[in-house]
Amino acid sequence: MSEFLRESFNESKTMYSGHNEALVELGDENPDVLILYADFAQGQAGPYYRNKYPDRIINMGIAEANLMTVAAGLAEGGKIPFTHCHSIFAIGRTYNQIRQIAFDKYNVNIILCNTGMFWDFMGASHQVIEEIAALRALPNLVLLSPSDAVEAKKASKAAAYLDGPVAIRLAEPETPIIYHDDYHFEIGKAALLREGKDVTIAATGILMSKVLQAAKILEKEKIDVQVLNFHTIKPLDTETIKNSARETGAIVTVEDSSVIGGLGGSITEILSENYPIPIHRIGVRDVFGQTGNMEELATEYNMNITDIIKATRNVIKKKRK
Amino acid sequence: MTSTNFETHFTEVIKVSHDPELIIKLEGKAKLLRKHTIEMIRYAGKGWIGGSFSEAEIFTALIFHHMQIDPKNPDWPERDRLILSKAHCCEMHYAALGEAGYFPKKYFSTYGQFGGMLQAHSQRTVPGVDYSGGSLGTGLSFAVGEAIAAKLFSRKTSDGTIVPRNRVYCIIGDGECDGGQIWEAALSAGHHKLSNITTIIDRNRYQSTGAVDSIMEIEPLSEKWRSFLWNVIEVDGHDIDQILNGLEAAKKTSDKPSVIIANTVKGKGVPSFENRVHFSILTDEMYNEAMNALT
Repeated sequence: MSEFLRESFNESKTMYSGHNEALVELGDENPDVLILYADFAQGQAGPYYRNKYPDRIINMGIAEANLMTVAAGLAEGGKIPFTHCHSIFAIGRTYNQIRQIAFDKYNVNIILCNTGMFWDFMGASHQVIEEIAALRALPNLVLLSPSDAVEAKKASKAAAYLDGPVAIRLAEPETPIIYHDDYHFEIGKAALLREGKDVTIAATGILMSKVLQAAKILEKEKIDVQVLNFHTIKPLDTETIKNSARETGAIVTVEDSSVIGGLGGSITEILSENYPIPIHRIGVRDVFGQTGNMEELATEYNMNITDIIKATRNVIKKKRK
Repeated sequence: MTSTNFETHFTEVIKVSHDPELIIKLEGKAKLLRKHTIEMIRYAGKGWIGGSFSEAEIFTALIFHHMQIDPKNPDWPERDRLILSKAHCCEMHYAALGEAGYFPKKYFSTYGQFGGMLQAHSQRTVPGVDYSGGSLGTGLSFAVGEAIAAKLFSRKTSDGTIVPRNRVYCIIGDGECDGGQIWEAALSAGHHKLSNITTIIDRNRYQSTGAVDSIMEIEPLSEKWRSFLWNVIEVDGHDIDQILNGLEAAKKTSDKPSVIIANTVKGKGVPSFENRVHFSILTDEMYNEAMNALT
């Protein structure tokens, strides 16, 4: 196991809380950082900015399209905005506006709140399954997908200091903290979470703790699983994918989003061009979701620990002899 | 297309006040910009003739007199910003920037050419362009962001008053007012009292496929903006003196954003184009008509 990983996953937090810690630090560090909300619930950064930096927090109302282009104008004017809206509406209602930001490479940090399949209770109208596919087709845009509160904090801080547009996926449920605070996060570089030679699990986002638990269970079956964290979906760390494919010869991809065009789609594209090996993709398979909690949804849509274990066993059987 | 008597829509006509020599000089400039525009469109073979010609005096008043800009220093942080939200009418934008000295006029020949500097739809890669457009209805939101940034970078003047770092000018079309994001932006600018924004509506009464009032009635336009907490000024958009008066009145307004409804004629300046031409192939006949009318 990597030295960055905690020994046990007994503490849980939301990714949004980690992101808020970053905003508070950034507020003090950089006078140009400014936070915008589409009538979206603020975390601890809300009262902090309202007290200390009241000019640097703006609620733009339920008008995501305006919010996103306002952020572009702020960035051209020399500010570093962080936009906060539900991911489903960032993708669905402001895709065109995000595209304009990407075209002109503005330093806008787009926080995709309550992203993916696992927004507790809210149902299909609010679950976004298409955002990875939609955003990774945009040139110039960096797409980050942290897997716990610690990584979310690091992602937000890195985004503020990267001069260009960054979108960050933050899932809604509380999720186990996986990493120690000194975990090294570098945009564009996949993190090796676990060494292994039999099979690779390449994962992103909130399902990471389930992946690590699955790997532990498979260890008892003498299956040696390598786990890679693709916190950066774009630009994708293709060298690490190719090297890992050569080392293990089989890959399972895991994400809380549609496999169509998602991390699974991305990795399949890279490997089929460079080093074709058996792949199984865990993720949403071309369906809309429904109301439920994360456990219910992960089980219903075959994205739970048992599904990851089954897929891993199966993909190994398909390996070239 | 039928012609519309826009003059009946005037609610306020501002009295002539500028030095007549200045006005004559600027009128000459507007004519020259129309010529540059038609030459540019000649290189491309086609272009947005009507909407470029209707905005000639607006661009002239802004770039050659009113705005705080430095063509030799297009990225000067304290410059006033100019956002052409109706960015398809980029030919007049490029003509004004080239004439002002942002780039050599020889680049006009690259308009609409593969690999050329002057791409269809105003693009930030061109010196002097502050906003890449093309998606109608988004420019005013960009202006709102710029205006908030300018207020956050406010400075103290010698007499102790605090003024925004710069002003923001945004040209939108009347057809563009169909779109919802314009009204989201208008709402937010009114709420935040962004007095450093001046929006100019090129009210030429036509959009891509016909007359604005036949496609989507936007009247009463003044009342709409007023109800969104904007200061509303109406001018004849081909009368440079009136435009300058409007711009100066807007600049003096300290508690709300201003919109200048500039009543214009699509294709203004070449009689055979007026109220007729939107996007068009430029035939030899049209080119000759334009050159005759503009010399």
